This record gives sequence, C-alpha cells and structure tokens, in this order.
Amino acid sequence: MSAPSSSDLIRGPAHLLGDDVNTDLHCSTKYLPGKDNAFVAARAFEDLAPGFAQRFEPGGIIVAGANFGINSSREQATHVLKLLGCAALVARSFGRQFFRNCINNGLPVVECTLTGLDEGDAIEIDLARGCVRAGGVEHAVPPLPAEVRAILAAGGLHAFLHAHPDWRL
Amino acid sequence: MGATMVEKILSSHALDRQLRAGDVVVASVDFAMVHDGRAGNALKMIEKMNAKALPFAHRAAFVVDHFSPPPNAEAANTHAAMRSFAAAHGARLYDVGSGICHQVLPEGGHFTCGDIVVGTDTHSTTYGAFNALGTGVEGTDLSAVLATGKAWFRVPETIRVELSGRLAPGVWAKDITLHMLRRLGAEGANYRALEYVGSAVEAMAIDDRMTLANHAAELGAKAAILEADAKTEAWLQAHGAAAPRPVRADADAHYAEVIGIDAGSLAPQVARPHHIDQAVSVAEAGTQRIDLALIGTCTNGRLDDLRQAAAVLRGKRIAPGVRMIVTPASRAIYLQALREGLIETLAQAGASVEPAGCGTCVGITGKLIAGDGEVIVSSANRNFKGRLGNPRAQIWIASSATVAASALTGVLTDPRGVAGGDWRVQ
Ligand code: SF4
Repeated sequence: MSAPSSSDLIRGPAHLLGDDVNTDLHCSTKYLPGKDNAFVAARAFEDLAPGFAQRFEPGGIIVAGANFGINSSREQATHVLKLLGCAALVARSFGRQFFRNCINNGLPVVECTLTGLDEGDAIEIDLARGCVRAGGVEHAVPPLPAEVRAILAAGGLHAFLHAHPDWRL
Repeated sequence: MGATMVEKILSSHALDRQLRAGDVVVASVDFAMVHDGRAGNALKMIEKMNAKALPFAHRAAFVVDHFSPPPNAEAANTHAAMRSFAAAHGARLYDVGSGICHQVLPEGGHFTCGDIVVGTDTHSTTYGAFNALGTGVEGTDLSAVLATGKAWFRVPETIRVELSGRLAPGVWAKDITLHMLRRLGAEGANYRALEYVGSAVEAMAIDDRMTLANHAAELGAKAAILEADAKTEAWLQAHGAAAPRPVRADADAHYAEVIGIDAGSLAPQVARPHHIDQAVSVAEAGTQRIDLALIGTCTNGRLDDLRQAAAVLRGKRIAPGVRMIVTPASRAIYLQALREGLIETLAQAGASVEPAGCGTCVGITGKLIAGDGEVIVSSANRNFKGRLGNPRAQIWIASSATVAASALTGVLTDPRGVAGGDWRVQ
C-alpha cells in the first residue's frame, strides 16, 4: 500500500490565492436556494480574484496562504474544486474539516509555504517523498501518511471502500 | 511514555497498540449525527456511495434544528427526506422543535464516557464535556460510518489547559474560551485536541462544561475533552446513557503545549464585532449601545443560561428600544424552563421566546433580525461579518450573564454590576 505510485506525482500551473480564504469566499453563492455546484463553481473565488474560475484550467494547482478553507465544514467547497478540475492544493495551513474533506474526495492537500510565485508558475508535488518544487526551489514537507495516500490514490473514500470492504489501515 | 485522553480513546477503538499523535487509524464509531443543515449533502453522499447495506444507521440520529421550523420549501423537503431515511433505516429522528443536535444527543443518552461520536458539524466537540471524543465530519465520512461503523482519523496532538482556582460569580466558561481565543487566536488549536482540567472545571456544572467543550470549535480544535467525575456519571445515568468508560490522561503523556489559566482572576469578556478572537473585558469595551440581545445556540442556550438571564431580569423590563430573543437549546430545556417559571419571567421582561433549535444563530435560516448599523450582543459562538444575514450589523459575543445585563441597561454591561448578575446554580 505504501509503494510509490504515479498518483503520488502531480504537476500543474499555480493559481494564487491569499491568506484566510474561508469557504464562504470560496463559494459565496452557495446559500442561494436552488443553485447547484456547477453554478457555484463558475463563480468560485469571484469576490477575491475576479475571473478566477474562467482562468482556471483542469490540472491547475491552487496555492494559498494560512487557514485555507476555514469557517465551515461544508464538503461542497471540495466538490466545487473538483468541478473546476483542481489537481491539488498547496497552502501554509488548512482548516481541519476542509483538509479532511479534500482527502475523502481524492483531492491532494499539501501544507507548504510558497512565496514569490507568479500566477501560472509550474509546481511539482511528490506526495510520497514529501516535497514541493516551485520556482527552482525544492521545499521539504511532511509526507502524507501512506494510509491517506491510499485513499487519495483510489480517488477518494468511497472508491477506496469499494476496493477494501474489510476496512483496516 | 503515557498517553493523552484522545490517544487513549482512539486506541481503544482501533488496534491493540497504543496510538500516538500523528498516527493515522481506522477506528470504530459509537454514534453519528447528521443535522438538517448538512443532511442534503449527507444523503447525496450516502446515495453516491451505493453501499449494499447501512447496518450502522440505527446508531445515528438525524436532527432537524437549523431550519426549525423550515423557512422555505427546500428546507422542508430536506426534512421530509430525513424523515423517510430515518424510518427506512432505523435511524433516530429528532424533528422540528426537539432542539439542537449537540443538546439532544447527550440528553437522549446516545453516548457515554470514552465513546467516539462524529457529527456533521464543527461543534461536535461538545460531546467532550462528557469525556467522549466528539468531532466534526462531512457527508462522505458519514456515509462510510453508516456502512462500516468506522471512520479514519489522524490522532491529534493535544494542548492541555489547566484551569486553576474557580470562576468568580458572574464569570462563565464562555469567558474562559473568549480569553483563550484572545491568547491563541481563532483556529489557534487547528488540528489539535484540547484537554480541559483543573479545579475550575471540577467546580463547573455540566451546562458550563458543555460550553467549554462546544466553544473549542472556534479555536479550530478537532476535539475538546474533559475528565469525567461523579457529576458527569450522574448526569449520563439520569439520561439513560450506557455505563461510562471514563478515560484519564497519563501523568507522563506528551503535550504539544500546556497552558495554565487562573480562572479565579478572569473578568467577563466580550468579542468585538466580526472577529471572535478580538476579545476584551466588558470594562475595556467601553460604552457600547446595543439594539438586540440574543440568548441561545449550542454554546449558551441551556437551562443555566436561561436561569441566569431570568435572575437578572426578574421583575424588570429590558431597556426601551432593545429587542431580546431567547431560544432554548432543546425542548427538554424549554419544558424545564416553563416549570421553573423562567419563560414567564423572560417574557414579562420583554423577551421573545422561540421554539427550541438553532434559532437566531446563523443568517441562513430566513430570519433577518438586525437592520443596517444595528448592534447585537449574543451568547452564540460566531460573529463574522454577515453571520446573521446582514453584513452591516455588528455582533458582539458574550456570556448569557453579560447579554442579559446588557439587555437590561441597553449598553454592554458587566453582569457583576447588576442585581442577579452573580447567579450560579448551587
Ligand atoms: S446553534 Fe449555531 S453553531 Fe450550534 S449547531 Fe446550530 S447553527 Fe451551528
């Protein structure tokens, strides 16, 4: 289960957001009755970075500061990022529940402080080794535990459980 | 090396080995909770999971509390879906007016000391008041729990908070948490568990202990666990819980941090508008007019909150122009407040009393209660901009004692300065 797999290596362009991006800013239209996730995704981060969802191409990596995803336990925030095609998130720190939701939905999250990047800079993440390469610098990060990487590699908790009905880590 | 309370509880629900902070583990779950604010997503995830069976659904409660009674058809339809699911799978349903999830779960005797309880809500930390591991999850986790009886956890580091002395009259667990928020900052305990111990915790009634565990969510804590004592066990027994399996930390447990607070020296605190960690003492806040006074929520809508408010307002009227809304946290509390004459006292003083539930806690419930520029003092837990539906309103957060004293005078008021402000259950 702990053998390195291709899913441990992620490459993509950086899309920058700042500190304290809470899930209300994330999907500020979420409370409108009757609006589905696709509607919310098309306007994700609109108040913070106008046009963000339109610029974002599948495979992009979100790079942010401290406390990304705090304030709410809503899993919808993660579903919206999946709809955008986000490949991974790198931030100085994440809200606890948001971090958990990302793992459960097969979205890699890495705690790492990246500064001085420009929008679109190439990022490479090695989940198994625990490193992030950006702007010619390699940053060591605590590697995600093998058990968590196994859930990510399966594409999320549901897919993992279908493959491992006798769930033990 | 010894173990913390959270390490012990997770170990007892997982493998035979003693787990340490940082380990990732699959643990069995004793009880699960879904409330109507997240039931839509949870039911979607249950459907998406497409499990052969949901054998653990009978160990779950579905609670209608956020939208109670429902303000629109969407919420009413979610409630209908919750009712059908609960009936079909043997889950326990708490319908409109039963109360807030974090209150009805312990009152229903659904868990005991040493248990693991997960809920689709950040304030699931509340269950730690009963020496259980209570923590928030979302729909995907919840669906896995109903199918497998298990969830994955990363064992958190623990911050031990030693509360010495005992709270002075007029000062409450809410004031301790606001003080901690000022010290650690919002999310200052992110990913971590808190252990609250010491003479001040021992002296607290169960209601106040629940505030302490509940409000840890604002510190970002994954869990907040208190030790069990005779009061805990008597309370659990009175509510029909299973025999307790109390857990204590070892003397040589490893902590990320140990914080000492002299509870006896604390004064009533208030958090300034928009930032829960910008707490100051009521005296430091200066003269501040208020328009609305709110008592309720899973943090401070319990019987002692209502008794405290009634002690301040008995035979008096709230200040002209001030509106006061009181929302009991559960129907059991509502009924007991009726028996004790508290509802009559509060209504005579000019307060409106709502059905039990989340009430005025959050602005998504279709109740817009504050106008532009209006100032609210609330016993709730969050005050970020727009929390009550109007970003141009200002929300101060305080204990029920401070809220009631402020309703009486019309300005933010230290409860120790008004008659009845020093009330405490004996
Ligand atoms: S009372 Fe408020 S904080 Fe508590 S569960 Fe209800 S909405 Fe959430």
